[in-house]
Amino acid sequence: MADTTPTSKAFWEGLTPSVSSGLASVAEAGRAALDRLPVPTRRSERWKYSPLTAMLAQPLNSPEAPHGIPEDVHVQPIPGLDAYRVVLVNGHVVTEACDFPVAEGVICMPLFQALDEGRLQGGDADWSGYHEREWVGALHAAHAQDGVYLELEEGVTLDRPLLVHHHVTGSNVAVCPRHRIVMGDQSSAEVLVWHSSSSEATGMVNALLEGHVGRGARLGLDKVQNEQGKIFHLAHEHVTQASDSTFRVHSMTVQGHWVRNELNVAQKGRGAHTIMHGVYLPKDQEHVDNHTTMDHTVPNCTSSELYKGILYDRSTGVFNGKVFVRQEAQQTNAYQQNANIVADQGASINAKPELEIYADDVKCSHGCTVGQFDDEALFYLKSRGIGERAARALMVQAFIGDVLAGMGSEEVAAEVETLLSERHGWM
Amino acid sequence: MLTIKNLHAQVDQTAILKGLDLEIAPGEVHAIMGPNGSGKSTLASVLAGREDYEVTQGSVDFDGSDLLDMDASDRAREGLFLAFQYPVEIPGVSNLNFMKAAINAQREHRGMEAISAKDFLALVKEKSALVELAGRLRDRSVNEGFSGGEKKRNEIFQMAMLEPKLAILDETDSGLDIDALRIVSQGVNAMREAGRSFLVITHYQRLLDHIVPDHVHVLSDGKIVKSGTKDLAMELEEKGYDWIKEPAV
Repeated sequence: MADTTPTSKAFWEGLTPSVSSGLASVAEAGRAALDRLPVPTRRSERWKYSPLTAMLAQPLNSPEAPHGIPEDVHVQPIPGLDAYRVVLVNGHVVTEACDFPVAEGVICMPLFQALDEGRLQGGDADWSGYHEREWVGALHAAHAQDGVYLELEEGVTLDRPLLVHHHVTGSNVAVCPRHRIVMGDQSSAEVLVWHSSSSEATGMVNALLEGHVGRGARLGLDKVQNEQGKIFHLAHEHVTQASDSTFRVHSMTVQGHWVRNELNVAQKGRGAHTIMHGVYLPKDQEHVDNHTTMDHTVPNCTSSELYKGILYDRSTGVFNGKVFVRQEAQQTNAYQQNANIVADQGASINAKPELEIYADDVKCSHGCTVGQFDDEALFYLKSRGIGERAARALMVQAFIGDVLAGMGSEEVAAEVETLLSERHGWM
Repeated sequence: MLTIKNLHAQVDQTAILKGLDLEIAPGEVHAIMGPNGSGKSTLASVLAGREDYEVTQGSVDFDGSDLLDMDASDRAREGLFLAFQYPVEIPGVSNLNFMKAAINAQREHRGMEAISAKDFLALVKEKSALVELAGRLRDRSVNEGFSGGEKKRNEIFQMAMLEPKLAILDETDSGLDIDALRIVSQGVNAMREAGRSFLVITHYQRLLDHIVPDHVHVLSDGKIVKSGTKDLAMELEEKGYDWIKEPAV
């Protein structure tokens, strides 16, 4: 029987293959996998609610490196934030806008440069195996572009956050940034990855971030998606943790036409702690999908996952939270919570917690709620003179406030809140 | 202050208020008593602007304005306050932010500037002392984890903060122990003044020992069937409501 899978070749064959010699073997494997792996459609369970059909309908092109800094890339997207800065436009590092080198004991440079200098040897060029598992990963690997390489030496604390600002501009562009973060033992850093795009931008962002948090180290990662235009944003973060390490990640979708976040964290050493928090507030016909995998492979680790969404208009959302507790992972304490408010009749959410527990001495709890705004609470606020819009704003802030409060800095949390209230007209 | 004429209201096609008349002058305290299901809380809800109550007939004049033409927040800004029978818990919204938003909404409505942080805190300190509301309760999320008595004290605290022209207390005494009843009543009495009126809705006479009304009305089957002084409340306490429901001899 004929397969009705969209012919994907036309979609990607016009794209420029990855140009880094250090990634040559990964790119080659990616190209081979593109023919082998199935294109995500509604038929596959993992992509059931986020088929790529709409994205594949339009062939894409690889954008040239920009000349200088485009005007609509704000010099500083977050008021008041004192950070080291790396700027990428369409997957190209804009060196003149970057604070290289950042600090002593910290290696921060374009990924391609790190590859050229032999910092990622052999199989180290790829940690995630994303391109072997997923067609989207293969698409990324075959066309992988530049990104940030951040490495902290043992015991070093980055004194300011690192802001990685990724901007997209142009029509039907295919952008595949690739980042690597290596946290040496007992090191500590806060990283903010800020995604923006110009209002007329269309195309795909297919981003990969690989990270490793060494023994006793701490990495805080804030990812903010604030993309205008019509971007299909596919993101994959793959992070491994050594013993007694802490990894915190906030995935905040402020705006995005179509977003799929795939976050995989694996604990490889005892005493590791993981915090995965996220917020999504799609409107119009936007789509936001968060697929998370928390893999507890060793004893005595903890994880805390909290995702909150409010879905407006005819938007759609997906939350899929997979938690593995392997047989060896005794004394695991894993928590997962996903709360949704479907604000309008046309909106919908598909939420699915998936817990696979093979150890017997563990504490795992999870909860998933889908509801509406509490009319009684709204009336209570209004009965004190607070107007309908302000009352709703208060309730939204209350709902997502605990997620915002856990972000790396108050400035970033405040900016996210400001952008959300401007976008939704709360104040 | 408030003139209700021939008020009819229904919920889900069920008529509850069936021609209610009531006149409250500035500075007066009126009590409405009545058996369960007589329409007491419906009256409070209709006056406060709850949306699922439909007014089918009649008029309500509030200090010269058509009350029924305003939405709930405008009624509050104009000086109407409802102390809820069941105050709502709103996790994540701090009691103080809530009050600040409410006060500023009212001030904006009156063409005033937003209140300064200093003035606001001074106001909070003064008004919370009135109902012996401890700081930790003020600083928490709205009513979250409050006991029944704490919730009712929080209602009176909010009333004191907003200084309404007309306050409706909807069974504020329900679920209160003697001490809480005393504190709540003290808070209300401290606010009695010439320009402020109260409509106290209650099932029991005991609240009226503390908040002494000028007028007492008995509501039955959606109408006021008897009015009198505070002595009427005593009589009701003795005889129950049944004698009221029977046709006058």
